[in-house]
Amino acid sequence: MDLRAGDSWGMLACLCTVLWHVPAVPALNRTGDPGPGPSIQKTYDLTRYLEHQLRSLAGTYLNYLGPPFNEPDFNPPRLGAETLPRATVNLEVWRSLNDKLRLTQNYEAYSHLLCYLRGLNRQAATAELRRSLAHFCTSLQGLLGSIAGVMAALGYPLPQPLPGTEPTWAPGPAHSDFLQKMDDFWLLKELQTWLWRSAKDFNRLKKKIQPPAAAVTLHLEAHGF
Amino acid sequence: MMSIYLFWRQPSQMVDKKRMKTSDFRWLLSKFVLLYLMVQVTGALRDLKCTTNNLKVWDCSWKAGFESVIDEVCIEDRSYSCHQVEKTNIKIPALPPGDHVMTVKSSHSPANSLSKFILNEKNVSFIPDTPEILSFSADFPTSTLSLEWNDKGSAFPYHVNVTWEIKILRTERRELIKLETYNTNLNGKDRVHQWSWASDLPLECATHYVSIRCYIDYLHFSGHKEWSDWSQMKKIPWSPNSQTKVFPQDKVVLVGSDIIFCCISQSKVLVAQIGSTLCPLIHLDEKNVAIKIRNISVSENSGTNVIFTTDDNVYGTVIFAGYPPDIPQKLNCETHDLKEIVCTWNPGRPTGLVGPRNTNYTLFESFSRKYVTFKRAETFINESYQLFFQILPDQEIYNFTLHAQNPLGKSESAQLVNIMERVSPHTPTSLKVKDINSTAVILSWHLPGNFAQINLLCQIEINKANSKQELQNATIKGAKNADYLIDVNKLNPYTKYTFRIRCSAETFWKWSKWSNAKQHLTKEAIPSKGPDIWREWSSDGRNLVIYWKPLSINDANGKILSYNVSCSSHEETQFLSEVLDPQHKAELPLSKRDCIISVVAKNSAGSSPPSKIPTIEIPNDDLKVEEVVGIGKKILLSWHHNPNMTCDYVIKWCNSSRSEHCLMDWKKVSSNSTETIIESDQFRSGIRYHFFLYGCRNQGYQLLRSIIGYIEELAPIVAPNFTVEDTSSDSILVKWEDIPVEELRGFLRGYLFYFQKGEKDTSKMRGLEPVGRSDIKIKNITDISQKTLRIADLQGKTSYRLVLQAYTDGGVGPKKSMFVVTKENSVGLIIAILIPVAVAVIVGVVTSILCYRKREWIKETFYPDIPNPENCKALQFQKSVCEGSNALKTLEMNPCTPNNVEVLETRAAPKIEDTEIISPVAERPEEGSNTEPENHVVVSYCPPIIEEEIPNPVVDEAGGTSQVIYIDVQSMYQPQAKPEEEQDIDPVVGPGYKPQMRLPINSTLEETAAEDDIDKTAGYRPQANVNTWNLVSPDSPRSTDSNSEVVSFGSPCSINSRQFLIPPKDEDSPKSNGAGWSFTNFFQNKPND
Repeated sequence: MDLRAGDSWGMLACLCTVLWHVPAVPALNRTGDPGPGPSIQKTYDLTRYLEHQLRSLAGTYLNYLGPPFNEPDFNPPRLGAETLPRATVNLEVWRSLNDKLRLTQNYEAYSHLLCYLRGLNRQAATAELRRSLAHFCTSLQGLLGSIAGVMAALGYPLPQPLPGTEPTWAPGPAHSDFLQKMDDFWLLKELQTWLWRSAKDFNRLKKKIQPPAAAVTLHLEAHGF
Repeated sequence: MMSIYLFWRQPSQMVDKKRMKTSDFRWLLSKFVLLYLMVQVTGALRDLKCTTNNLKVWDCSWKAGFESVIDEVCIEDRSYSCHQVEKTNIKIPALPPGDHVMTVKSSHSPANSLSKFILNEKNVSFIPDTPEILSFSADFPTSTLSLEWNDKGSAFPYHVNVTWEIKILRTERRELIKLETYNTNLNGKDRVHQWSWASDLPLECATHYVSIRCYIDYLHFSGHKEWSDWSQMKKIPWSPNSQTKVFPQDKVVLVGSDIIFCCISQSKVLVAQIGSTLCPLIHLDEKNVAIKIRNISVSENSGTNVIFTTDDNVYGTVIFAGYPPDIPQKLNCETHDLKEIVCTWNPGRPTGLVGPRNTNYTLFESFSRKYVTFKRAETFINESYQLFFQILPDQEIYNFTLHAQNPLGKSESAQLVNIMERVSPHTPTSLKVKDINSTAVILSWHLPGNFAQINLLCQIEINKANSKQELQNATIKGAKNADYLIDVNKLNPYTKYTFRIRCSAETFWKWSKWSNAKQHLTKEAIPSKGPDIWREWSSDGRNLVIYWKPLSINDANGKILSYNVSCSSHEETQFLSEVLDPQHKAELPLSKRDCIISVVAKNSAGSSPPSKIPTIEIPNDDLKVEEVVGIGKKILLSWHHNPNMTCDYVIKWCNSSRSEHCLMDWKKVSSNSTETIIESDQFRSGIRYHFFLYGCRNQGYQLLRSIIGYIEELAPIVAPNFTVEDTSSDSILVKWEDIPVEELRGFLRGYLFYFQKGEKDTSKMRGLEPVGRSDIKIKNITDISQKTLRIADLQGKTSYRLVLQAYTDGGVGPKKSMFVVTKENSVGLIIAILIPVAVAVIVGVVTSILCYRKREWIKETFYPDIPNPENCKALQFQKSVCEGSNALKTLEMNPCTPNNVEVLETRAAPKIEDTEIISPVAERPEEGSNTEPENHVVVSYCPPIIEEEIPNPVVDEAGGTSQVIYIDVQSMYQPQAKPEEEQDIDPVVGPGYKPQMRLPINSTLEETAAEDDIDKTAGYRPQANVNTWNLVSPDSPRSTDSNSEVVSFGSPCSINSRQFLIPPKDEDSPKSNGAGWSFTNFFQNKPND
């Protein structure tokens, strides 16, 4: 930086210096924050990717479970899988949910589903299946992190797991192999529904958050960022 | 009494229907009648029956005919005893064998009767007490029913065989599904028996009932032994209150077995399936159903699913069908390091069971009674299983048993090993090589393991480039996790070696794997010999050029850095030059012509022994050039032994086309040799090489022989250049030049000279081939020094073709040809003219003389006097007329009716009619032409008519008239220039009139018209060759223009219109593609000519 006294370049240099240090001023720094928009977009993308990944995993896993689980028209009643979080919800109810509630439900659902999936992984008999499941678990863990990120960006607190409600994977004599397979089947089905629902949720959130950038900034500040 | 006895006996016999056999029905009938009468007589006591349940007390009962009270029953035994009874039965102690009389007194009967019976043990039935079931239980997981009962053996103080019969009934319908016989014995004590049975149907599916009876086979009892009554039924209820389920759950079964699944359901089961296969339903109690799977196949990893579908739900179970573990195969226990034993085996046939149902393996060592277990959730195909067992101090012999177990069974395999004999060391690592000297190195490597108790046998693989690999074995004292050293000798200096090593125990069991290979270059040593040298004097004789060959790798013993060249004479040794390695020659000005040149090669280890060569060259005047040809890429040179040659022989060679001082290579041969074979990769076929044989004598080399030769001779690649030096009317003198050596490619053996009459560009000459042509003359000139040739006896003014070829032993070279015309022979021509003239003159003179002498006779004979008509008056008028006017009418001719008209072609059918006059005349085409003979149509002559009214050509064409009118065709066409080829093309120069045929070529029509009378052969052919009209190809552009004059050739034309009367084309004509000579071809070829 060339600074000479009495030179017209001096003023310009001074201005440059001020601008150079602008990022260091905390009060102004927020204007550069892109807001939750990109992270919602990323979460949405991750959801779609997981949908794709699940299609492959479900094919492999249902084949492993054997017929009739891998038959396309097999649609058993939901039996013994009551502990799985249900993704299906009445449309009116769903519309009445606010963003926070939606995100919280998503987060809780995936926390539970991830826990069940890990149990599934421990039970799988073949190494290839274990690898696929582990890969999906990692991706799902990433989605969970993304949702947490979006929630944090929007200023929502993360739901605290209630003591004693942590789902546990307890295969035992009470749980027959068949019921276990039904659970696995429903786990995959619920995962699919949840991913579909999440994609809708994030798409809705994305549209809601994105358009007015200024509003986003205000919104962020209102939540104490 | 007898009658009573019989009465009593008879019913007792009827008790045991099985044993009694009645042969005579009538006899039975009579007995029955008699019985009835006796009862009436004796007071109606009947059906006395005695049974026992413990062989101690007999229970006899009877039936009273009417109301009678029995007061007393007396039995005559050893003592006579009477019993007061009020019923129709009595229990009496068992009577000894034999007949006993029982008297029954009935006081209140009307007759106050006395009945007597004969009692015998044989007539007593032994019916054991009904067994009592103590317990009936079910083990649901195994679907096993267990039954317990007391045999009450204390009632029989002696040994008795008992047969129990147990029946199992199922469902409320009490279907008998199992009837089992179970044999025991009684020994005087009460004993509880157990019997269990595994049901194929899960016990949860239906109520199961059990009942038991027995049969005691006491040999000393002579009466009838009968089955006891069935016990009271006990049942195991299917738990109707339990949740709807499918049974059995998560069961492991053997592949191929039959299994029944049932579903306990509150609602109706619609469909049952195993995997994706539907199964027929078996209905049990209420809405419960079952399915039976026969010969079940091996399950997938997650088991086989069995599903029952109801209206509102799906129920299922998983079955695992697999095999018991196979006997572990190829069990092998060995140690790699004498620290632990590793036992490997192959599990054999897959069990089809995974996860918690996978096979458990336990390796048990019987001496130490220690074991290790193996558990793996997953099975891989062809996976080798292994277990590690720690080596125990002071134990060398191990007796291993490998137990394999899964839910379906167990198997085992055993091995007894002396572990000291089962050492297969690990792969040696950290292989290093260190130099000792140029021919020896030390190898060192690390081998983990506790080998202190044994010796190791190690094998070193030594690999050298382009050499066979070498293996060296060495025995080394073992140590614990040690580095081992060994030295390797007899290596070559400055050579790249690759070493690998592997080890085993001295008591060989297995080699370890080879260690990683290690490359090593041995140290350099001084070159083992000096280079092979030669020298040449430069062309000016001032400089000496010293050549040497690089040392072979084996001789160089290192990288040659330089060569030192020095010159030694009697007085001194003069250092001349040091030449760095890649250069292998040195050109040095030499002041002294007589010295010994010595060359030494130097590497980093030192200098080689010197190679020496004298500079002096002894002249040889008696030298001639010889020829040699190689055999199979080699040249064999031989010479006579020359005792003067004391040192050696040297053969040097070079390409003869190069300069005199060329040097390709040389070869040294010992002085006692007389022949050598020279071969080189540089030798090429067809190249002339010059070989020089030098002999070494008195410290100087003398050229002994000079030889030129070829490895292989080839044919020349060029023909000799030749020229015609001189020609006369009957001879030609030809002269040719030598072929250059490079193009000769072999030793010239001669020339082939051909000559033949012929002109340039004629087809005959183009096809000239010397072989097989009689008109070709060949001269083989084997004198290669001859450079000229005179060819005599030729014809004058004749064109000759001359061909010259050179040949070697490798073949004949290409041809060169030339055309020469001999000069005209003028004398002969003159003679040829003069002799006929002279003969004609003489003949004329003689004829004249003879005619003159005989003129009177001739006149009388040929020209007698004829009266002159002019003197006739009768003709006076005519004469005056003839003389008077030229305008007189000509003789009037009536129109001629043609006596024959040939219709050549009509539009509808272009065919020739009236073929009776067709006269096929074969017209020979030009030689070489393939044209087929053509049919000429001869039409009888009709004199030319000049019509006053010219018919309309359109009408002619449209009407398709069959009359063709000809005018004098001669006047139609002007004569054209005669083509040069006409004579050749049409050798038949017939005088006949062929107006249409001749049209295109326009022969001399005037002449032919004048000679009409002479034509005897063809007559008048007005339309010429009909076939040729069709030869105008439809493809030809001309053929499309029917009005063209050009096209009109060959077609009959209307005289006035000169239109075609024949359609110009006929695509269907088979002749349209005719080859060879034709009108069309000719016409079209004409411009080319």
